[in-house]
Amino acid sequence: MMQRLFIRLRTVVAALPRARGLLPLIVLLTAWQLLQSGPSPYFPAPSQWWTAAVALVDRQHLAAAFGATVLTFLEGLGLAIAIGTALGVLIGMSDRAARALQPLLEFMRAIPPPVTVPVAALLIGYNGSMKLTVVVLSALWPILLNASSAVRQIDPVLLDVARSFRLSAAERLTRVILPAIVPALLIGIRVAIPLAIVVTLLVEMLTSLPGIGAIMIMSQRNFQSGEVYALLVLVGLFGFVVNDLFALIEGVILRSRPPRG
Amino acid sequence: MPEIGRFLARVNWPGFATIVVGFLLWELLLRAGLAQYQNLPPPSAIADGLVEITRNGELVADALHTLRVVLIGWATAVVIGVAAGLILGVSATLRDYSLASIEVLRPMPGIAFAPVALLLFGFSLQMELMVVILPALWPVLVNTMGAVAGVHARLFDVGRTFRLSGAATLRKIMLPAALPGVLVGARLSMTLALVLAVVAEMVGNPAGLGYAVVREQQAMRPDLVFAYVVAIGAMGVALNAALTGAVARLFPAAAGRVREAA
Repeated sequence: MMQRLFIRLRTVVAALPRARGLLPLIVLLTAWQLLQSGPSPYFPAPSQWWTAAVALVDRQHLAAAFGATVLTFLEGLGLAIAIGTALGVLIGMSDRAARALQPLLEFMRAIPPPVTVPVAALLIGYNGSMKLTVVVLSALWPILLNASSAVRQIDPVLLDVARSFRLSAAERLTRVILPAIVPALLIGIRVAIPLAIVVTLLVEMLTSLPGIGAIMIMSQRNFQSGEVYALLVLVGLFGFVVNDLFALIEGVILRSRPPRG
Repeated sequence: MPEIGRFLARVNWPGFATIVVGFLLWELLLRAGLAQYQNLPPPSAIADGLVEITRNGELVADALHTLRVVLIGWATAVVIGVAAGLILGVSATLRDYSLASIEVLRPMPGIAFAPVALLLFGFSLQMELMVVILPALWPVLVNTMGAVAGVHARLFDVGRTFRLSGAATLRKIMLPAALPGVLVGARLSMTLALVLAVVAEMVGNPAGLGYAVVREQQAMRPDLVFAYVVAIGAMGVALNAALTGAVARLFPAAAGRVREAA
């Protein structure tokens, strides 16, 4: 067991781009530091970013804000996955329902997720549940649409087999339908992740609900350029980690459950 | 008139009916007082709102501003992305020495650039363009790079046998091979560009449709908020249809892959 996990991890590491590919980034940051070693209203030196970040941790409770942002993101994405899968499967089970709802769902998806923020602010007001609602609504559509189209593309023979084995509806769902749509769900989630991050930060920026977005806007309004860059790096790292973690999860799931043709 | 018949048969009538019935229910429930949401306007009020902002010219002015940002930002992202993607696709060494940097920068949430852009450019068009271009670049760059890097080495051998010049190799081998990747990337970028333009207008430059939604929300005009949301959705649908339509006409071979990439 441990050995298999180890081998799997090694193949994942081998697939990573070479570390020497980081060279341009390192050269850029070093040159930046050398050309501009002090504070600046526009391009503060990278060393200043670090000083600003340390100050932010002390002064603005950076850790708590970061926690709030990450929590909203995870809760929103989790709810979107649950609701999107459930609705997607329900809609996909009936050809007629899928066709009737398709134009409406396509239009909902075409609306850029950020505009849900002012709408939710009107209808729900500024509070934690509004923050969550907006994130769920943004991440929902790609997951829902992928789930419903995947259910419709399940080989009818597979469903016939389930029927001849007299599987109950619940068994059909857990043993046939859900496993068949996993690859499509993963693609939907991959599209939903950046949307969820962007909208989480946006809602914090627009409403000053506690979170990294609110601190980013505050730093910018106070012209604390060091803080602004420090937060850019922090959010960038967050995006990077989420992206890679998901790729890892995706790799493990798809390897144990290869897509059926 | 067989064409009209075919067209009528192709229209998704149940889908159309769902939307109409949905709007009717929404309107009736609100009128009858069965659903009570403070600030939720009935569809008729939204339609009136659309008429109002069309008449006073605000819709057109705001839409044109956002459209300009999206198109300039998208075009810039495509040009830079294709150029960089071609170079990195051709040179395995350069790719080796930059791929990890790209993989670190690419997942950066676009909105994170908004405060930096505000710091550098203030409330301006440049600010919006920075927020649009930086994230919209990656899909084009990565797809172009992948397509060019995937060209079979033998094709280049063939080119060498025919003594093609560098420019001819680019035009006859690399560009055709990269085309589907470029188009797929361009479509993904277009969607991103609209989202980011709206974001930039909401938190930064007070102009365009994004700002209009926030402005009307603060003015407590729910009818106009929803009217602008409808307008933004319509712009998204129209941009997408224009792009896939243009691809279908100009590059029919790649159209299928582009339509699927969304």
